[in-house]
Amino acid sequence: MSKDDFFIGWAETPEVDRRFMLGAGLSIITGTTAVGIGISARQRPVGSGTWNMGEIREWRGIATSEPYGMIRTLDLDGTERTALLACQGKCGVSAKIGALAGKPVVVKGSLIHRGRHAMIAVVDGLDWIREDPDGSIDGLAFPQPEPIMDVSLNGEIMDSKCWFGAMRPARGKIHKSCASLCIRGGLPPAFYVRDMKDQTALMIMTSGGYGHNKDLLPFVAESVSITGQLQRFGDLFLLDAPVSAITRL
Amino acid sequence: MSHDYKMVQWNPFKKRFDVWMLSGVALYLVSFITLTYATQPEGNSFTPIQAMIRATGTLAFLMLNFILCIGPLARFSHRFRPFLYNRRHIGVTTFLIALVHGGLVLLWYHGFSETNAFVSLFISNPRYDSISGFPFEVLGFIALIIMFLMAATSHDFWNANLGPGIWKALHMSVYVAYGLLVAHMALGALQFEKRPIFFLVLGTGAGTVILLHLVSSIASLRISDRIGHEGWLRVAEVRELEDKRAKIIRPVDGDAIAVFRDGDRIAAVSNICRHQGGPLGEGKVVDGCITCPWHGFQYRMEDGQSPPPFTEKIATYATRIMNGTVYVNPKPNPPGTPQAPSEVGGSNEQG
Repeated sequence: MSKDDFFIGWAETPEVDRRFMLGAGLSIITGTTAVGIGISARQRPVGSGTWNMGEIREWRGIATSEPYGMIRTLDLDGTERTALLACQGKCGVSAKIGALAGKPVVVKGSLIHRGRHAMIAVVDGLDWIREDPDGSIDGLAFPQPEPIMDVSLNGEIMDSKCWFGAMRPARGKIHKSCASLCIRGGLPPAFYVRDMKDQTALMIMTSGGYGHNKDLLPFVAESVSITGQLQRFGDLFLLDAPVSAITRL
Repeated sequence: MSHDYKMVQWNPFKKRFDVWMLSGVALYLVSFITLTYATQPEGNSFTPIQAMIRATGTLAFLMLNFILCIGPLARFSHRFRPFLYNRRHIGVTTFLIALVHGGLVLLWYHGFSETNAFVSLFISNPRYDSISGFPFEVLGFIALIIMFLMAATSHDFWNANLGPGIWKALHMSVYVAYGLLVAHMALGALQFEKRPIFFLVLGTGAGTVILLHLVSSIASLRISDRIGHEGWLRVAEVRELEDKRAKIIRPVDGDAIAVFRDGDRIAAVSNICRHQGGPLGEGKVVDGCITCPWHGFQYRMEDGQSPPPFTEKIATYATRIMNGTVYVNPKPNPPGTPQAPSEVGGSNEQG
């Protein structure tokens, strides 16, 4: 080995080391990038939800605070539709509806939606909801939950806001902490099921007609089995079951 | 070396290296994010922050794999020493990428709530009693803290002030961080992304790191006590010693000894560089000084001291030549102690 072959960082780099570094550097960068491409191309589909945060508008309809903050409105597509309500962050707003529950209201916020599932993320501050003096409850009043059948289903408990489009992906263990924070904050929990034919369904979870909250946290974002009653609530499906009816798979 | 501390001791080689490294980082991130969006089914798309979380997380893991492979690779082939020379830059860059990953996770998954994000990190998933359900974010957080401590103390200032023993022990904790990160991925992303490539990347990365370290360790095992003479250890025949190079002797007790030959002079010093513990015996005598193969730190053959203005000192050992055979006394002199080299054919040669 000649004197020049010995690499010393502070001295001039030997030519043989320069050539090796060039080849090795290019190989490492190319290889690492190829691995990255392989990983990125094989990720699971993350869902089609969207949140148009910049499109703040007003929505007219009837508000309710039970089981969760919701508004029944014609402003989504001209038919009677239900949109869940949420704050801009990880919290529900049912406690803030107060005396306006059951009354015509105007709600200001942006739309989060996935398929026919809709949620309005209301603006910060106190003026996100006001009574609508020109509104009417005719045709928009919330119906009573209508029992469909008793069911026993396997699936995953998640928070509705993220699954509707606030986050993508919004399922599984990597999202567990976020989903727990959302449900702890009062956002409506949802039960997501997928059958053998890859058909999916989403139900908003209740217990005895009231909303769940922290009681669900031990089961969030895990595979669970729930035995309860499937109900129709306008254009929503509810799964009414106490936490004692939930079993981890 | 250590007479003057600057944030980065830049030289042209380091600058070129960093340009290449940062170009590679940019290429990876752009490619990953582009493909993340391009390969999702129509109508599906990641949020930009979640795409960035994945890009930075995977890149930091791959870079840490490479960092841990540099040491063994440099033992197998000295051509990898330039990577070793720049390992600190790769390490700090890896920490910064991991910091972006961790910061975005904290913001996105644990922020926007009345619960403090750091509190949420520890309580949102309470399943500490489960393996598959274990809160993997906590493992990543601890690994990030370790990486922070390493990045913050990576400068020679800390090496000099903490002392080589503490500094080395602190930086060996990279293996703890790596183990935590493997568990972080296995109990986190791999619980959601179950396609083979994710397991393949994690398994290949961890397997390569473990295998290289195993082979490297076996190769440098203390083989045996050497047949000596009156407590001195036999090194080699004089003619077997390559000029400007060393033979490493590993006594059963004590540190390894590097026995150098420079022309007709033969001297022995500790095999451990005072800087970062580099293997001096794999170095070379340059301009009369023993030169470490890792970062080019130098020591005089006759007293184990760095030439002025530098102040590092290493242990020296007595040598002698009998009947054409070189011996070394395994009892070290205090660092920096003058020890006259043996002269081939000189008056101190016996036999």
